[in-house]
Amino acid sequence: MYETIDYAESGDISTVTLRRSRINVAQLRELERVLDHLEDYGKTRVLVLRGHSDGIDFADFDPREPMDIHGFNKWEKLVNRLERLEKITVAAADGPTVGGGFQLFLACDLRVCTTNASFALPEVNLGFLPGMATFRLAKYVGLGHAKRIIISGASVSADEALRLGLVDRVVTDLEGGITAAIQTIAAGNVVAATLARRLLNESYGAAVEDAIGHFLAAQHRALNQSAFLETLKKERKNS
Amino acid sequence: MLDTRPRLLSVGTAHPPRQYRQEDLIRLYQVTDPRLTSLFQSSHIATRYFYLPEPGPDGKAPEESTGDLLKKHLRGAMEIGPLAIERCLAPLGLKVTDIDYLCCITTTGYLAPGLTAHLIRRMGFREDCARADIVGMGCNAGLNGLNAVSSWAMSNPGKNALMVCIEICSAAYVFDHSMRTAIVNSLFGDGSAALLVRASERDERSFAPKVLGFCSHIIPDAIGAMRYDWDDKQHKFSFYLDRDIPYVVGANAEKPLTRLLDRHNLRRRHIKHWIVHSGGKKVVDAIKYNIGITEHDVRHTASVLRDYGNVSSASFLFSFQRLLQEGRVRTGDYGVLMTMGPGSTIETALVRW
Repeated sequence: MYETIDYAESGDISTVTLRRSRINVAQLRELERVLDHLEDYGKTRVLVLRGHSDGIDFADFDPREPMDIHGFNKWEKLVNRLERLEKITVAAADGPTVGGGFQLFLACDLRVCTTNASFALPEVNLGFLPGMATFRLAKYVGLGHAKRIIISGASVSADEALRLGLVDRVVTDLEGGITAAIQTIAAGNVVAATLARRLLNESYGAAVEDAIGHFLAAQHRALNQSAFLETLKKERKNS
Repeated sequence: MLDTRPRLLSVGTAHPPRQYRQEDLIRLYQVTDPRLTSLFQSSHIATRYFYLPEPGPDGKAPEESTGDLLKKHLRGAMEIGPLAIERCLAPLGLKVTDIDYLCCITTTGYLAPGLTAHLIRRMGFREDCARADIVGMGCNAGLNGLNAVSSWAMSNPGKNALMVCIEICSAAYVFDHSMRTAIVNSLFGDGSAALLVRASERDERSFAPKVLGFCSHIIPDAIGAMRYDWDDKQHKFSFYLDRDIPYVVGANAEKPLTRLLDRHNLRRRHIKHWIVHSGGKKVVDAIKYNIGITEHDVRHTASVLRDYGNVSSASFLFSFQRLLQEGRVRTGDYGVLMTMGPGSTIETALVRW
């Protein structure tokens, strides 16, 4: 079904594993397909994204042809869709997570890695830009660290990633780390979680007056979902 | 087989000549209560266009009677209605005598004969021009009208159907220094929009969206949430907006949208363009967070609200026009049109370029 990724479903958890370590057009299309499926598939609550990625595959580009910016647009739309997916998303890294792989990692709600992991955006050294990591990275680590990481292209170790807030936990055993991360959101309500994520992502670019309006609209949606109304009934019975 | 689905071939808009900033309104109507002035200052509207009477020596706008307001409605409609029609027809090289069906939409003044008869007389439409007046359906009415106009166009292939939304909201104003009227007075503006609809194989190559379908949703329990009814005290019709409208609309927006898209086997990700009624900041927020669309998706909705206020049934056509002017639409793109108003109602339509 897929050639560049593996996709598995188990209960309410879906897992996408990058099988190809270099991102090419085929992998982009397969990731789009898997998002198409997940957007329609209500059974999945949690998406785990794992595998290692060394970034873009230059074999797709022909230096004799003018560079095509539209492929980058497609890529950014994909990352944006992942970031907006109505599932709680967990990224898990177990090795070098470079370029586009790092960008996918930044688009996820929870991020775990093993001590083998490292993170780098070498694009600037190669003469181009690390996509919208230029937009997302500073929100995690602050402007200073983001400038250093992007402009120097220096690799960030797992321990440093933890210190900077890029990852939530560093583990020796990836499976255990993923399980532990999922346990923290076992009770998580997907509607509320994804609305909270949207408000958090927007919090860097909105005036407080606008943000209050956005919050009220989101809160009203959360309060009126059937899951919250069930919770309310139970809580009232217990109190 | 010929594709006889109607296309939206041209849109034209117009507004009264005088532009007002929110501060102008505060001064003209001597709004002093800080609760009310804050409504004018925080409503995400910078400018609006109105037909307002000249201020008296005290700088205050004189009181207008119900009779004055009704006359103003017709006078204003006969000014900005024809302007919008001319702007809509000119790019197609059409004249009013080419129009076979005229549908007028308004909620801001009741009159018989309706606006269609007045426009036909004023502009010289043919005497066999078929017509329909949709009166009193509020902000959503543009899509109720488009549904009827599209059906007419589809059953009369090759004929020109023209829909005109004309709203003189300043003819529906009551200034009584209450919260109820301040909410309305700080939001609505005057404007008109005309849309040419035709189902014809000769338009097959024109870059104009086809209307694929409509889906309505009414919330009968919220019948009183938005209403235009008689105020005994003021002896005028007065518009009322319940403070829960944004939430009622938001909580229901998904229903017609999902039905509309399901019917065409589409998902929200397939929709490139969202043309949402500029109902007000809170309503637009409610739509955004309930159907999961972004600030970018409602950029025209927000900019139309900023520049014109809520021009009721004409609003979504102002946004539609801005989308076309932006030049980003591509062949094959899907668009969803969404309007909401009294009923309480949410109307949706699916189009494809």
